[in-house]
Amino acid sequence: MERLASSRRAVGAAVAVSVAVFALLAMAGPALAQNGEGETGVSLFQAILVGIGYYLSNSPWLAGNGGFFGLYRPLVAGFLVGIILGDPVEGARIGAAINILYLGFISAGGSIPADPSVAGWVGTALALGGGLDAQAAIALGVAVGTLGTFIFFTRMSVDAVFAHWADARAEAGDITGVSRMNWLPPQIFLFIISFFPAMLAVYLGSQVVSDAIVWLTDNAPWILSGLQIAGGLLPAIGIAMNMRFIFRGSVVPYFFIGYILAVAGGVGQEGGALNIVSLGIIGVALAFLHVWFVGDRVVQSRGA
Amino acid sequence: MTAETPNTEQPRVSLTRGDVRWSFWLWTFFSHANYNYERLQGTAFAQAMAPIIRKLYKDPEEIKAALKRHLVFFNTEPNVGGVIHGAVIALEEQRANGADIDDDAINSVKSGLMGPLAGVGDTISQGTITPILLAMGISLAQAGNVLGPILYFVLEVGIMLSIAYFMWMQGYDRGREGVTSMLRSGLLDRVILGAGVLGNIVLGALTAQFVTVFVTLQVTIDDASFQLHELLNQVLPGILPLAFVLLTWYLLARRRVSPIWLLVIYLGVAMIGAFPFWGDQACPSILNPFFQPDYCVPPPPEGAAFLGG
Repeated sequence: MERLASSRRAVGAAVAVSVAVFALLAMAGPALAQNGEGETGVSLFQAILVGIGYYLSNSPWLAGNGGFFGLYRPLVAGFLVGIILGDPVEGARIGAAINILYLGFISAGGSIPADPSVAGWVGTALALGGGLDAQAAIALGVAVGTLGTFIFFTRMSVDAVFAHWADARAEAGDITGVSRMNWLPPQIFLFIISFFPAMLAVYLGSQVVSDAIVWLTDNAPWILSGLQIAGGLLPAIGIAMNMRFIFRGSVVPYFFIGYILAVAGGVGQEGGALNIVSLGIIGVALAFLHVWFVGDRVVQSRGA
Repeated sequence: MTAETPNTEQPRVSLTRGDVRWSFWLWTFFSHANYNYERLQGTAFAQAMAPIIRKLYKDPEEIKAALKRHLVFFNTEPNVGGVIHGAVIALEEQRANGADIDDDAINSVKSGLMGPLAGVGDTISQGTITPILLAMGISLAQAGNVLGPILYFVLEVGIMLSIAYFMWMQGYDRGREGVTSMLRSGLLDRVILGAGVLGNIVLGALTAQFVTVFVTLQVTIDDASFQLHELLNQVLPGILPLAFVLLTWYLLARRRVSPIWLLVIYLGVAMIGAFPFWGDQACPSILNPFFQPDYCVPPPPEGAAFLGG
């Protein structure tokens, strides 16, 4: 009885959310699609692959870690979108640019500040399909990533229902049933609320983005310049978000060492004397020295 | 040892390494499959315990009790926190063999350790390892090297799975006391300290590579004119991005400005900087229109190709 009641509630909630998502897209779709077909757009098949990728990044199927620590990151997502759209190098570059903003991303206690994954999958696909360069794509990715939190919160709310289904199976002493309630219904629901919005956003949106860029180039090029400038400023936020956690105590000086070395060595520039891997090796060496010489003191003072 | 007689005198049921490993993989895959506001990873914990419960308990009432015991609220960092599951499996095994361990004892291990290990675990996995590897992958990818994302993925997932397996088995082998002593030993503090060194160096490098701040103010004294940007760069190469990141850090960490606000403000600054207040501007540059309408510095490194391929 209890199981029946809770299942009806869950189905009701799942249907309501799905209908709401579809209704939004159905209303937005025709308006977006009016811009007609062009050669720069994304094909339906490519959009489906992007949607599946976005679902997978939230799913457990890649040993958990391959999702959240892998496909969820715009760097990886951008590269895979690049493969799907036929330009892995540019895709990786766009994904990398978007990802800097989420360097300080931490999901803790069941909340996320933004959705890096949707910024990576949908943002890269829109930028690549629409013909936006990496630095200007950062702002687009941020906007998409902020909207993406809606999907996460929907999922977190509705999934509670499946926990009650699991309770009912536990009451029956059904071990397999409890296990199944943890993955089968929530994953079906997650697929619905993640795959379809991402797929439709990419399919309908890439043409809009490319039309917008053409229009802006003719009528208001300063907006594109502004996006470009923003692409130089916004990474500071991602870097500073991460500095909140590690830019403290005895390791602060290493930030300046890293900065000076990177400027002097031309990291990231063609023909630079140093690259990020050589800096990484210097970093590991210094980390050993630091822990060796001051580790005891730091650990003791923290423990006391 | 799947004895069909459950409650004989000395029913020693012991778990094999395979049971513990199967439980580990169930958790590793499905820890966030049903993440929700009410229980967070509660149902995932129960699923991970499924092979353990099936092996240890034969009495339907005990199975029911065990399932309910592990369906409660639970939330921790899934990789480092696996040490809790290992310890709980060890407790369940002792309990099934007649040790005096009640529900409260098991619940207190779970609820007592999940908070601290979430803190330590998030610091290690999401707070240090991930951004360091990401930063390296991002830097390589930006230079046009597709090994960036590939190396990141392989290293990140490999390291996370290794940590997760190690912690899980440590928890099972050493039990609750082992977990506590590991937390006290300072080993994790040392790891975090070393990662802090590497992380700061990499963040410094990312600042140099990705943050671009340009000031086009031109100072004219008598007949000689100086570009402020170049003057500043002569003081310290790349001084503006460095100062800008430190300012952002100060606002975020010290003044508690919300990152969303900063996003909006920085976007606004960029747009104002690009807006052609005095006629057409061929090239984007911050503050340019305010000070020197005729002066234009070409945009830094890559050039302003908006309609790339």
